[in-house]
Amino acid sequence: MSKRASKKQFTFISRAAPYGGNRPQLCLDIALAASVFEQQVNYLFVGDGVYQLLKGQNAEPIHAKTLGNAMATLDLYGIDNVIVQAEALVARGLTPEDLLLPVLVLSGPDISNLIARSDAVFNL
Amino acid sequence: MSSLHTISKSPDSRLLEQCLALCSDKDAILFIEDGVYHGVLAETLAKIPAAIAVYALREDLQARGLQERIDARAKTASMKKFVELCGDYDKVISWF
Repeated sequence: MSKRASKKQFTFISRAAPYGGNRPQLCLDIALAASVFEQQVNYLFVGDGVYQLLKGQNAEPIHAKTLGNAMATLDLYGIDNVIVQAEALVARGLTPEDLLLPVLVLSGPDISNLIARSDAVFNL
Repeated sequence: MSSLHTISKSPDSRLLEQCLALCSDKDAILFIEDGVYHGVLAETLAKIPAAIAVYALREDLQARGLQERIDARAKTASMKKFVELCGDYDKVISWF
């Protein structure tokens, strides 16, 4: 089998806010691993997950690692397909300008299509 | 008897609605951890009766990049203020 044929499309759905638990970090670790193995990665932020991308994070006061710093460097790790749920932004009074990196904003049916097209989906 | 309600999950949890159903006048609500995301949603905060004081923990706001986004309805509280509030109210009710 050729290298090309073994490439699969992975979609990661991150739904949790950044510092209330370890789900966002776990999702990031798996996504980075997939990217290192040269799989096509879609990184999708829905619901409270969009807060992971908010500008101005500084987790020093709560003695944690600032997740936003990692998110801002996703493209360096080969993840340039960052998608944000339009409804999640609107519900939180946010616009793409409030986010740390350029994202693709998609809504309901487009996100469903993306998931349908994916070979594997991780939902954390 | 007055109560301090701490809410530590984001608005998606609907904990504020559950808390408000049991809240009395003279109570206070303090948002901590992911609860501080309530502090940027003006419409959500507007559901809290005026007699109830609303606070959000500064350290948790800073971590999440929310310190400039906090709505005027919620006061920013330091860790020291958190301790004082625990003493000021008869009990602390934790919503998590």
